[in-house]
Amino acid sequence: MDREEYFGPAYRGSKQFSQHDVRTANATGFGAAADDYMERGIDLNQELVRNKPSTYFFRMRGDAMKDAGIFDNDVLIVDRSIKPTNGKVIVAVLNGELLVRRFHQNFTSAFLIPENSRYKNINLAEFTDFTVWGVVTFVIHPV
Amino acid sequence: MKAIVDCNNFYCSCERLFRPDLETKPVVVLSNNDGCIISRSDEAKQLGIGMASPYYQNRHIIEENKVAVFSSNYGLYGDLSMRVMDTLRYLLGPAAVEVYSVDEAFLDIPDNLSEAGLYNMMKRIKHTVEMWTGIRVSVGAAPSKVLAKLANRLAKKDKKGSRGIWVLDTEEKIKQGLEATPVDELWGVGRQYAVKLHNLGIDDGWQLRHIPEEWARVNLGGVVGVRLIRELKGIPCIPMKDPLDTKKMIATTRMFGTPVYELKDLREAVATYTARAAEKLRRQYGAASQVDVFVVTNGRREQRYIYKPQSRHRQCTLSTATADTGELIRAALPLVDELFEPGLKYLKAGVVLGQIKPVDSVQGNLFRPASDTTTLMAALDNINFSMRGDSVKFVCTGLRRNWKMRQQRRSRLFTTRWNELYELK
Repeated sequence: MDREEYFGPAYRGSKQFSQHDVRTANATGFGAAADDYMERGIDLNQELVRNKPSTYFFRMRGDAMKDAGIFDNDVLIVDRSIKPTNGKVIVAVLNGELLVRRFHQNFTSAFLIPENSRYKNINLAEFTDFTVWGVVTFVIHPV
Repeated sequence: MKAIVDCNNFYCSCERLFRPDLETKPVVVLSNNDGCIISRSDEAKQLGIGMASPYYQNRHIIEENKVAVFSSNYGLYGDLSMRVMDTLRYLLGPAAVEVYSVDEAFLDIPDNLSEAGLYNMMKRIKHTVEMWTGIRVSVGAAPSKVLAKLANRLAKKDKKGSRGIWVLDTEEKIKQGLEATPVDELWGVGRQYAVKLHNLGIDDGWQLRHIPEEWARVNLGGVVGVRLIRELKGIPCIPMKDPLDTKKMIATTRMFGTPVYELKDLREAVATYTARAAEKLRRQYGAASQVDVFVVTNGRREQRYIYKPQSRHRQCTLSTATADTGELIRAALPLVDELFEPGLKYLKAGVVLGQIKPVDSVQGNLFRPASDTTTLMAALDNINFSMRGDSVKFVCTGLRRNWKMRQQRRSRLFTTRWNELYELK
């Protein structure tokens, strides 16, 4: 079996890809001009999965983040290798429960902020067992 | 230098990744069919739950202490294992990583690192794997594989002091480590040799290291014994293996969820296992010409109350090696008919494919024209792989599958199926 020569964490297709896998536009037997420009089609993984081993998928339940454009039943793409900085939407572990909220942090305080006025802000000073599970990088939302 | 990265209580860690509420609580994972305990969290170990002990024996401990119990979810563990290995490959390059098992990998580490440099590298490896994948690991580094295994063991033994990292990079540290380790806990020393060594008054690794190589050659299994002694001295003798080694034999075997009495069910089960094995065979681009079927029964009916499993097998050789599921099933089913004896209780069955060669070097048979089903099989594998589960299957593998494994407490396939994703609030 052939092995890849070097390894990068980015998604590079589920199979080894060669030029033979790209369909040719040359159906007539004549060299069509477009044939020189055939390339591989758009691969969503290339755009949405930046670091394959650290990327996980979640399903949104509820409307706690609706003002951030995350609605019930949407798919969240979460990358664990990204640093959770101020303002990022994160998956947090709070009291042993996973929760998606916007992360606000400065020198003196840290909050988990919902994007829905019906929900309350969570002051992290009141919790001892808070950790960050990962950072949300994309939302897949059906239109 | 060699290092080994070992996931802590791997199956339990996988379950905890999506159940952070269990982070400090006792957790166990059961084997196929919910029979035995195959992974225990540290908390469960402290409760006295034994490794590989049957579930029912520990039932009272489990219920009293509210231990979280999971059926094995190999889909999840396999995916997380791949993430751990991929992370290591990214950090060190694919050639420097040897996947040793689902939860362990040996690493080839450059020799020119300073003492602090080596430690920092181990720290970085551990930190990156844990951050990216969410799986906790222990790391041991030493001049040879056997010593790296020892370092890893020391790291796990003293979790607080070591913080999951143990480096044996000086003679002094190696001496201390070996003196603290009885021979039976060294990698590569089996139970029989351990008894032999104890009888000779060789109890710890440091004593074993000073055995003359010639004695080891005669008394500890020839070359393997010599290699062990050299490895203990810090001379690397066990090379990094190519992880893509093709297998000489492929087996699929399972315990039945409920015992099987009917020939029909037994045929279904064996056909299913054959299909599974054929899939594995094609994954390594192989073709097999030997099919071996075995069944395990609970003895004769007169001895109904005595649990005395008996195993029987039959094998046949095909005229041409093949990777075609249909042909392999056609070979396996008559063997089932031969093995089946009415009135017996069947507990387990299995299929072993042997005489495996690369598919492109299969010799044709003069008397039977080759039927090329490669394309069909590739299509079958493609559908089943992309759609997941057995979307397309042979009818003889059964539609109801009464004998299927019990997995009553399986968590979801969080990382491999759209309809089983974790639901966030």
